[in-house]
Amino acid sequence: MKIHIRFLIVIVLLGSLLASCAQPPAAPTEAPAATQAPAATEAPAATQPPAMTEAPAATEAPTATEAPAEKVKLVIWWWGEQEAPGAQKWLDETTAMYTKEHPNIEFETVLQSTDSLIPAFQAAAAAKQGPDIQYFWGGVWTLENVWTGALVPVDDLIPADERAHYINNFERTYDGKLWGVSWYLSGNPMVFNPSLFTQAGLDPANPPKTWDELKAACGKLNAAGVTPIAGGLKDGWFGGWLFSILGRQPLDSEKDFMSASVGTAKFTDPKFAEWWSRLDELKAANCWNKDINSLDYQQGQDLFVQGKAAMIFGNDTFLKGWADTIGWDNMSVMKVPTYASGQLADDYVVTAQGWGITSWSEYPQEAADFLVYMHTPDRVNAWFKYTGVIPADDRLDTSLIEQPTLKQIYDWDTTVAGPNLENFIPSILDEQANFAGTQLLFSGDKTPQELAENAEAVIQKWREQSPDAVKNFEAWAK
Amino acid sequence: MSSSSTPGVLPLSGRQNTSISTFTRFQRKIEPFLYLAPALASLLLVFGYSLVRLIILSVQRPLQGKATFVGLLNYQAVFRDDIFQQAAKNNLLLLICVPIMVAIALLLAIFLYERIRGWQVYQTTLFLPYLLPITVVGLIFSYIFQLSGVLNEFLIRIGLERFALDWLGSTRLALPTLMFVIVWKEVGFGVVLFLARLMSAEQELFDAAKIDGANWWQLHWHITIPELATVIEFFSIISVITMLSWVFNYVYVMTGGGPGNSTMVTELYIYLTGFRYNQPNLTSAVAVLLLLVTGLFIFLELRLRSESDSYEGVV
Repeated sequence: MKIHIRFLIVIVLLGSLLASCAQPPAAPTEAPAATQAPAATEAPAATQPPAMTEAPAATEAPTATEAPAEKVKLVIWWWGEQEAPGAQKWLDETTAMYTKEHPNIEFETVLQSTDSLIPAFQAAAAAKQGPDIQYFWGGVWTLENVWTGALVPVDDLIPADERAHYINNFERTYDGKLWGVSWYLSGNPMVFNPSLFTQAGLDPANPPKTWDELKAACGKLNAAGVTPIAGGLKDGWFGGWLFSILGRQPLDSEKDFMSASVGTAKFTDPKFAEWWSRLDELKAANCWNKDINSLDYQQGQDLFVQGKAAMIFGNDTFLKGWADTIGWDNMSVMKVPTYASGQLADDYVVTAQGWGITSWSEYPQEAADFLVYMHTPDRVNAWFKYTGVIPADDRLDTSLIEQPTLKQIYDWDTTVAGPNLENFIPSILDEQANFAGTQLLFSGDKTPQELAENAEAVIQKWREQSPDAVKNFEAWAK
Repeated sequence: MSSSSTPGVLPLSGRQNTSISTFTRFQRKIEPFLYLAPALASLLLVFGYSLVRLIILSVQRPLQGKATFVGLLNYQAVFRDDIFQQAAKNNLLLLICVPIMVAIALLLAIFLYERIRGWQVYQTTLFLPYLLPITVVGLIFSYIFQLSGVLNEFLIRIGLERFALDWLGSTRLALPTLMFVIVWKEVGFGVVLFLARLMSAEQELFDAAKIDGANWWQLHWHITIPELATVIEFFSIISVITMLSWVFNYVYVMTGGGPGNSTMVTELYIYLTGFRYNQPNLTSAVAVLLLLVTGLFIFLELRLRSESDSYEGVV
């Protein structure tokens, strides 16, 4: 009898287990929010242009007076505090203000680390679960997710006259559609320490403009016992920056590199390979810190802030933070000295960091409305006040930019901005050719010629391994 | 025990009795499996599904937006990839750490077993690195081994400038430096394992050998090592598995696979291919390969254990 009872108990337990594993029935009250959400109708004026009412979601949405607003939770995975300190405070304030204006909308914001930003989103995309709004770097970092179907275009969600205010959003354009919204600008000036320049007999008012002048400046700084340029290559990222900042000079457009990626040119062609030689020249001229290969990107930048190096290939999003540490008087900016005369040679490398709306979001219109709210003049100005970083919106009150260095950055951003090439090549090329290649150049293991050949080998491997990605690139490169 | 013999149960007719006995026998046979079923189901769900999915992904590729069966094409691509070859070679080179770890752990365990002065303090100290998170260890050693780091500063101060090298920034030195850190961190586990086994060994064996005039070397060569044989086997195989498939954190934190892929390992290759290059199918192919190699060693370990169990059973 006991054994029968035990048997029965086991069967019942197993049954319970299976029952608990079963899919719960779909709750009929949780229908897709886009068809019910009144949020669009409640959004501020800027979010209610005619184009929005053309979107299916907006036309079907009941007005606020007709029905109570459905509770909407927007999940935001983001990055940016790392390079624009103050971003967290701004985002917290912005979401709080938006919730105050739209009580039915609440937010969950998750600040990702640099290392987890991409893997976490890819895992979410594979599961079709995760954020409604995701932070993206520009170009390929955004479009690779478009090609896997993880993002929706924003053209139907945000009206054209609103989108026209966004600066540098061309990196998110593909197949005639816009796949995201820019947030702030991240540019690459060459930052130098005027005091150390003076100490070495250089004129801070006339920093080097050509490659030869730069090498000569390295000589003078070395003679004065100052490390000329600081960098850190160990984690690779700075190698990508060097490619983007230096590799552009003989070229006329980012399309050149995209063409080489899909095979219509070779990375061993002189105009693509020259930057390796030029970087090698700087190495030979002792322009760099000796420990560049054993330092991370951030550690390399810190050498400048610590006054141990005279120049860095910097990021303008860090300027305010550095100024808080060493003062604006101890740093100034210049454009990268030129060695070639391509149309990209003399421009200012800028990318717009931004947002995308996920294809699995139940609230794409609400997400878009919030992105539009981020771009209202009040929020744009608040962004600059909190971070000292130029927002990707032409509605910024420029009278807020008081610092001459930041005025210079804004001027470059709006007059001579050029693409960040790293955003227009397959990430495997960046990693295996640029990240690894710069390390091998500085360790003395490879020559510039060998590194150019390596870049070509990597891209050929990519074309063989990823035929679908190549097709996407071909379409994008047109 | 059958139901018919259970006290308080009325006797049944012969036919009924036979039928119930058969049913009861069936119940008895199936009952253990029913108890195991939830765990088995969970295992199948968690590991079985993932494994099958991994294998399917490894023989597919996205072609015109659809996952298409491509046979062993991904495996061929992986074997042709020079970065994968470098990664596999580095994993094999890391196996050099295994005999080094075994030898160091063995020596330290013997010293501790011999109750050298302060052995309890040493025991704790030696095990401490094993308890520290790898990321912490990696970060600390990254700072120590920088070109302008603590180690080189020290070497310069004591007049050994020529030994102040770019430990992590040189393609020649980065992997050996990494190996040093792995050995430093992992050896504590071996010490504890060996010491625990020695503590349970029969003291009479050692005493008898000493009475017979065995010297230190003979004592440990003829008694300690044979006594530790199964534990050494276990530690060696676990360490081999570690070197092949459990060194990602060290590499990721300390070198990121560089400089110039000189410290690339298969795990990092999997991570980069999957998450940076958006090539999940190639990633899956490498993951399957890694699983097969690791599985082989796990099988070997189980086989050796079962053999030694049966040997001990006979003895």
